[in-house]
Amino acid sequence: MDSASAIDLSRPAARGLSRSLRGGLRGGEYTWALAFVVPYIAVFLTFVAYPVVYGLWMGSEPGLYRELFADPIYQSTVVNTVLYLALGVNVKMFLALLLSGFFMRPGWWSKVLLLIFVLPWAVPAISTFISIHWMLNGEWGFLNNVLYKLFHVEGPYWLNDRWTALGAVIVSHIWKWTPFWTLILLAGRMAIPLDIRDTARVDGATGLRGFVYITFPLLANLYLICTLLSTIFLLGDFTAVYFVSGGGPANSTHVLATLGIREAFEIANPRLGVAAVMSALPLVIPLVIVLMRKLRTAEVQL
Amino acid sequence: MAHLTRRSMLRGSAALAAANTLAFPHVAKAAATTATVWFAQGFVQDEDVALRKAVADYEKASGNKIELSIIPFAPERQKIISALTSGVVPDMVDSNPGEILQLYAYQDKWVDVSDVVETQKSQFSDTALQAVQAFNNVTKKRSTYGVPLRSGVVPCHIWKSLVEKAGMKTEDMPKTWDAYFDFFKKVQDNLRKQGERKVYGLGFQVTSNGVDPWNLFMAFLIAYGGQDIVTKDGKPHLDDPKVKQAAIKAAAYLGGAYRDGYVPPSAINWNDADDNNAFHAKLMVMDVDGTLSTEVAIKDKHPEWYFNEIVTHGAPGYPNDNQGKPVPSIVGFQSGLIPKGANNVTVAKDLLKFLIQPKVLGELVETGLGRALPVMPSLGKTPFWQNPKDPHLKGYVQQGLFGPTQPDYYVYNVAMAEVRTQHVLSNAMIDVAKEGVKPEVAIDKAFKRIEEILAKYKTA
Repeated sequence: MDSASAIDLSRPAARGLSRSLRGGLRGGEYTWALAFVVPYIAVFLTFVAYPVVYGLWMGSEPGLYRELFADPIYQSTVVNTVLYLALGVNVKMFLALLLSGFFMRPGWWSKVLLLIFVLPWAVPAISTFISIHWMLNGEWGFLNNVLYKLFHVEGPYWLNDRWTALGAVIVSHIWKWTPFWTLILLAGRMAIPLDIRDTARVDGATGLRGFVYITFPLLANLYLICTLLSTIFLLGDFTAVYFVSGGGPANSTHVLATLGIREAFEIANPRLGVAAVMSALPLVIPLVIVLMRKLRTAEVQL
Repeated sequence: MAHLTRRSMLRGSAALAAANTLAFPHVAKAAATTATVWFAQGFVQDEDVALRKAVADYEKASGNKIELSIIPFAPERQKIISALTSGVVPDMVDSNPGEILQLYAYQDKWVDVSDVVETQKSQFSDTALQAVQAFNNVTKKRSTYGVPLRSGVVPCHIWKSLVEKAGMKTEDMPKTWDAYFDFFKKVQDNLRKQGERKVYGLGFQVTSNGVDPWNLFMAFLIAYGGQDIVTKDGKPHLDDPKVKQAAIKAAAYLGGAYRDGYVPPSAINWNDADDNNAFHAKLMVMDVDGTLSTEVAIKDKHPEWYFNEIVTHGAPGYPNDNQGKPVPSIVGFQSGLIPKGANNVTVAKDLLKFLIQPKVLGELVETGLGRALPVMPSLGKTPFWQNPKDPHLKGYVQQGLFGPTQPDYYVYNVAMAEVRTQHVLSNAMIDVAKEGVKPEVAIDKAFKRIEEILAKYKTA
């Protein structure tokens, strides 16, 4: 076969490929489509792809991880992060599940209570966490003063010990974010069709039985998605630790996010800070994959 | 009727842009004379007022435009590090924190400003001139990368009223180091006997947050004879028995005072502002804390505290060492820095030359209520600083400008900046205070860690 005939033979295929790439659009239509889509792609590349790639690049040197793992604070930080996630997420989500059932009760008073209940979530995080930091001060903090005034008991120095300080951080996080997840689960409960609940009631599935056999199975997927999302959010959250315990005493209550901030801006080593946060990727990536799979599940899992 | 097409729209936009450039040529001119400047927010509003006035005066005198951003301390530090990392930098920043000058000069990130400093070189204190020097690991030379603007030392803030309530007098305070601090233990003992449940003699920041614990430890280290931990040539002397003994004594005194109950227990987790708050709440009789922020913060609201109840150092002044010799104070400097890659180095340098004129600099610190010290000895002799009716300024300027002073150790060796931010010595102090570790053991561990950090930085 000569070269001319080869070109001839490939022409229809090339035309077909070109048309399919253009999505069946012709001439000016295609230009306009490009004009609309290019800004979106530019924004996506600038504000989504670039920061992620830049972050990966910053934390890509193996030497950074050697330095990080050699840091005596890092090991305790990993333990804190695991505890913070395990307790912070699960206790919060379980409470939110229970409270969402409570707020399903009819009556104006439950609406008023709900309004009060969401306040911790609605007010700015920084000011509330700073207030908690001061409230827990051993000498002049509100909590110990109340304990002394009411019971003549000298309260502990909450922020002086690693475990009470970390406990204070976890409780503060739960207090702050339980209302939000309660609202999400409340919306999930309200989406359960009334006829399913009525039918279950007729069949005798009331109270705990109704929850175990009807409500929870219908909410399970949402609950799991919320748990995964909350875990991902919490991994990147530094406000509670930063403002309640400040990572102290003696840097014993850091989590990966606050350690990253410390390395980046206090030690003035941004690459090491990024590496600290990146070291959570082996946990984050599987979480995101599971989350994506769950989000693809369309039907109700009864 | 003409139809709007894609091409006609593009043509129109291009024509409009060209017309705009021709019609408003001053926009281009303004860009060449505009500089972006970042400064850390002052502790009191008067400091920001003073800075804004100085910048406005410069704009008036030069015709240049300064886009000044006054940013809270921690966010500014984050912005500076982010800017230097990304390469998108302003034209001038202040050294927040102080060690940023040496840390980034080491990486060749600052413009050499020797020519700016030269314009007032004879005016600056020797310590100021030393403090703005840094080693550049790219050029392998030391040079001047900062322009000293303001400074601060670590004075002793004392509730005179609490001392008197304990039946003692500030006039009776001993002049030598240990006896000076032991005096406040007696004050606490007496106050406790009177039924004061929660008042502590000493406000030591036995913590690993912020800059206070390093400043505190260094003051004690120097007082106990460990001044040569790093010498001017940048060489560390961790194996010098005199240095090691001084570090052990410092950890022992500071940690011991905490263990003995003379320091508020919450000090173990204080941040830089907590000790100020605790002092204002009269939780402790004295606080060793950098600058006069403790005093000037309450000057407006509680003038009676400022003028009658709180004193700086007390009658003996800053204490001498245990042998009676004056103890050098470490001076921290706020310097003007110009990042490499800045768009308008010329205007930034011009602004700095304006700011370091003695008249401008003097007004800057005095309008700021004297929280920060001047960096020129001549400026410390003014009636403002020597005012006999003010119980703070004279003692403070004596300690930080006319007494023996030295720059921080990271000026001599950049690795000490990381030793400081890693809180290596603070952790030794905490080990003694909280865990009851022997001071010798705590310092051995700390010195080992310092050696590891020193090994990371190679200086000429």
